[in-house]
Amino acid sequence: MNQGKAFYKKISHMLPAGFLVLVLLPLLLLPLASVFIYALRGGLGNLAAALTTTDVLFALRFSLIIAFATAVINTVLGTYAAWVLSKTRFPGREQLGIILNLPVAIPNVVVGTSLLLLWGPIGLFGQVLEPLGIQPMFTPVGVLLAHVFVTFPYMLGTIKPVLDDLETTYEEAAYTMGASRWQTFLHVLFPALKGGLLTGALLTFAHSLGEFGATVMVSGNLRLRTQTAPLYIFSQFESGNIQAANSVAAVLAILSFALFSLILFLAARTGKKGAQRGK
Amino acid sequence: MFGRPLFRWVLRITIVCVVLAVGLWTIWPWLPSQKDRRPRTIVLYGFSILEPVITKGIFPAFQKRWFEQTGQRVELISSFGGSGTVTNQLIMGVPAEVAILSTELDAQRLQKAGVVHGETWKKLPHKGVMNRTPFIIQVRPGNPKRIHDFSGLTQPGVRVVHMDPLTSGAANWAIVAEYGAAVRQPGSGPDAGRAMLLGIWRNVAVQAGSGRAARTQFDSGFGDALITYEQDAIWSRSRGSSRFEIVYPRSTILSEHTVVVIDERVSERQKELVGAFVDFLWSEEAQRIFVRSGFRSVDERLNSLNPQFGHIRDPFFIDDFGGWRKAKLTIIDDTWKNRVVKELKP
Repeated sequence: MNQGKAFYKKISHMLPAGFLVLVLLPLLLLPLASVFIYALRGGLGNLAAALTTTDVLFALRFSLIIAFATAVINTVLGTYAAWVLSKTRFPGREQLGIILNLPVAIPNVVVGTSLLLLWGPIGLFGQVLEPLGIQPMFTPVGVLLAHVFVTFPYMLGTIKPVLDDLETTYEEAAYTMGASRWQTFLHVLFPALKGGLLTGALLTFAHSLGEFGATVMVSGNLRLRTQTAPLYIFSQFESGNIQAANSVAAVLAILSFALFSLILFLAARTGKKGAQRGK
Repeated sequence: MFGRPLFRWVLRITIVCVVLAVGLWTIWPWLPSQKDRRPRTIVLYGFSILEPVITKGIFPAFQKRWFEQTGQRVELISSFGGSGTVTNQLIMGVPAEVAILSTELDAQRLQKAGVVHGETWKKLPHKGVMNRTPFIIQVRPGNPKRIHDFSGLTQPGVRVVHMDPLTSGAANWAIVAEYGAAVRQPGSGPDAGRAMLLGIWRNVAVQAGSGRAARTQFDSGFGDALITYEQDAIWSRSRGSSRFEIVYPRSTILSEHTVVVIDERVSERQKELVGAFVDFLWSEEAQRIFVRSGFRSVDERLNSLNPQFGHIRDPFFIDDFGGWRKAKLTIIDDTWKNRVVKELKP
């Protein structure tokens, strides 16, 4: 009797989770699984061969470099923006905050076209720069520019809440003890931000790794020069090379999975620490 | 967690090692020790169906020849898409040195946009035409809709996969093929051409961005018939990835693919290399590779080498309609865009 009750209790606990998995199965899990099934269709040998072509090696490396550079740039820029928005007071602060967060709301393709129309050879700045031999579009620099633009809000969004929550008394204490702004940042703000910085950087990295819409516009999709891994996947899929496309897709999926596990792990840890500090 | 500090350290060190290893692997080709091994490059933009033959056939052959002649390694930087898309990218200023377009129409657009000055491609061998391929109809196994010519596509209930004339050169060829096939029937006139276009376009169920994209859609099971390049069908069959039959229309056009050198983007240092590559495209070695992968050579003698080429009773060319400039005005714009498309709209 008692046993039966316990069993029933167990089942009823599992029911919501089971339902969630059932709903997510065709939405999320099966499509992901099919990427791996198609990647492995020709056997491991074919998968290895598909992953070691010059094009794939370049695309993966290029994507990783761009993602790393984007993460570094936006860690600095995003942290600075968060600090300005959180710790200084000036008219138009709220509006500026909205504008800085816009890249999340604008479709990435629009970001791409807007960059082209500004920096491209027929664009506003581009027309002036072109005769000087400066042409950022359709080069790795253009890709980096687009990625910095598109992923900008992620760092800002991670750091600003931490800064907002951090009581100014700590900083004021530092100032009264004669610390400069930079010293205050280094010794008071930075230790509190460490977890957020890493999470934000990884988030930026992960989003840059998967960016497609803006990249396809500004890169010119040149293999061995500006073709990122997602662009490679798209090109191969469109040419009917489904296995080649899925091999790279599988690698990206695994990378993203690892990255987001790390992000979640870090977020959980910093959350715990924050809670401890709160007490 | 706190009871297992060793485990935590191992985990940390593993993560750091993995990150470092991936980092090193990533920057490997750009390390100073690898610098002298960086090859010279040619930047090429091509229309969609060229990708396999250029990247796997023509370029490796050129690479080998150039290495034998000069001892230099050369790498191809390339991008492939619908001919119209490629042309738009070129007008936007992508750094292409050579473009291979599916129609001269797109070359003329480049000229109009000032990307090239004058009809420079006409100075290349065969007026810039690199190879040809006729337009055919691809149907499902057993030809269940009994399509034997372009007129078969006008039957009610046939779903046609067609390319989009805005982005695809192939679509423009296909429209002239459909129109021409009707007009060239004994005893018919321009009205027959318009009627044919109207009949086919009434049945167009999907418009794909490029020849290759249309193929992918047809292969994934969509539609009853696909109008495409013979080369694309032969290539697709050779990969054994899809089951279909080729229907050769009685009259059809042979598309002619135009090579354009973007002189402005070819630096002094690159002139010789790019010139050698462009000349190579018309060499017998390259033309044989084209024939093997399903294109018809500009050198008629080589075309007997591929037994898969089908027979066409009445092949015709764009010159039969006064060249692309005239055909674009009379067939694409006046007939298709201004009349057929408008009549289709309810």
